[in-house]
Amino acid sequence: MTYHLRQAWLAMRGNLTATLATLTTMVLALVMLGFVVLLTLNVDRALSQLESQVEVAAFLRDGADTERILSSIQDLPQVREATVVRKDAVLAEMQRDYPYVREAAELAGNPFPDTLRVRVARVADTTTVAGAVRKLDGVESVEYGAGYVERAARVLDAVRVAGYVLVALLLAGTLFNILNAVRVAMYARRAEINVMRLLGATRGFIRLPYLIEGLLLGVLGAALAGALLVPGYEALASRLTVLVPSLPMLQDRAVLAQLVGTLAGLGVLVGLVGSVVASGRYLRELE
Amino acid sequence: MIQFHHVSLEYPVTRTLALDDVNLHIKKGEFVYLVGHSGAGKSSFMSLVLKRSLPSKGEVYVAGEPLRRFRGGRTAMHRRRIGMIFQDNQLLPHLSSADNVAFALRVTGVPRREWDERVSGALKLVGLDHKKHALPVQLSQGEQQRVAIARAIVSEPPLLLADEPTGNLDPENSRDILKVLQNVNLRGTTVVVATHARDLVETFRHRTLTLRRGRLVRDDPYGGYAL
Repeated sequence: MTYHLRQAWLAMRGNLTATLATLTTMVLALVMLGFVVLLTLNVDRALSQLESQVEVAAFLRDGADTERILSSIQDLPQVREATVVRKDAVLAEMQRDYPYVREAAELAGNPFPDTLRVRVARVADTTTVAGAVRKLDGVESVEYGAGYVERAARVLDAVRVAGYVLVALLLAGTLFNILNAVRVAMYARRAEINVMRLLGATRGFIRLPYLIEGLLLGVLGAALAGALLVPGYEALASRLTVLVPSLPMLQDRAVLAQLVGTLAGLGVLVGLVGSVVASGRYLRELE
Repeated sequence: MIQFHHVSLEYPVTRTLALDDVNLHIKKGEFVYLVGHSGAGKSSFMSLVLKRSLPSKGEVYVAGEPLRRFRGGRTAMHRRRIGMIFQDNQLLPHLSSADNVAFALRVTGVPRREWDERVSGALKLVGLDHKKHALPVQLSQGEQQRVAIARAIVSEPPLLLADEPTGNLDPENSRDILKVLQNVNLRGTTVVVATHARDLVETFRHRTLTLRRGRLVRDDPYGGYAL
């Protein structure tokens, strides 16, 4: 095994340019993939938070039967929570959030109606619930903020697909680089390989140094990607948390460790597949 | 040891007929010359015995086994029973004499504890035990060829093939190499030497097979060079 490790090291050192090119694309691909996954995880968290805050607001006419409206809405299976906020409470809320409302209210009185606030179990049911609320007697108008959540989800999907396509292209580039690096390494040692074959070396024996080379490139690429990704992401996350405190950034070390582990597995897989294919093909060409 | 049964070999790209309906039988323990002009089919013969190529027609048997049926690992095992020597010796330039010889043991999975004794024995047989640390570039052509012979015999294969082993050597070194090959043969190894060195074939008489344009035209059990 020491012999094969040494041969793998010599092959990598002997073709330094090819080794570095392979390593660079692999690190790029894995870092990109890590960022796309982290972006997705974070945007999913943000969307979940937004979804939990989406509510249907129904503005009631003066004199509406609030008890009947409330009980009709609470009977709907999609409804998680429903409350009626009296017009005085609405004014108090508005004055708290927007101090200038106080002056307007002093001049023109309380302009706000009693308001029914409904939270749904799933954001997808918002439109259905809003439609049901609108049909109730005593409801003046209905507003709900699901639209921007749906739009954000669509944008995220597009970003996610574009990210994964880019990562797939980079991984394919890495694979081709490994194919090329192994081929160059084998070509450089063709005399030795020829002697090995004539002396009765098995294909496995001849290929082992190149499989180790692929494996080492995968492990090294994943280690470098992890070393760039984790501190880079943590710095970005802590800065964003300061800038936008309401953003629920993922900062769970266990999730990050799992992500780095997955990237390492992927790096090793790409490295091994590349070297298995390249060395097998080269030996077949010799036969 | 080696049997060719109606063997023809045509190279597909050039459509060259390298061997044409060759029948022969080389017995275990024999020393046989294979002579003929360049392109007569000597190297094609070696290539078929090593299973580097397959015959277009007919069948090649080594130790009674048809080579056509060998796949993957069996081809490697088959080659371990054959020692091969080339005109250009094909030593690895970065390895010492001893390491070049040990390379044959390494690639065939012989335990490391056996290497020293076997390498030393093989180098002694070719008279180069005192130069085991020398790199190929520090050896003469004749010495390099003797290291190549040591590498070919260190695994004690029952069959030794030598393709123009004296092609790059002066007459004195050529005779030394032939003497070494004869010594190997005396130990029971079957030896096949492809050559067009007339003086050697005439001096060290052994069975001689003559190839001409891919056909076996002469099989002389008492030797002698006649093309």
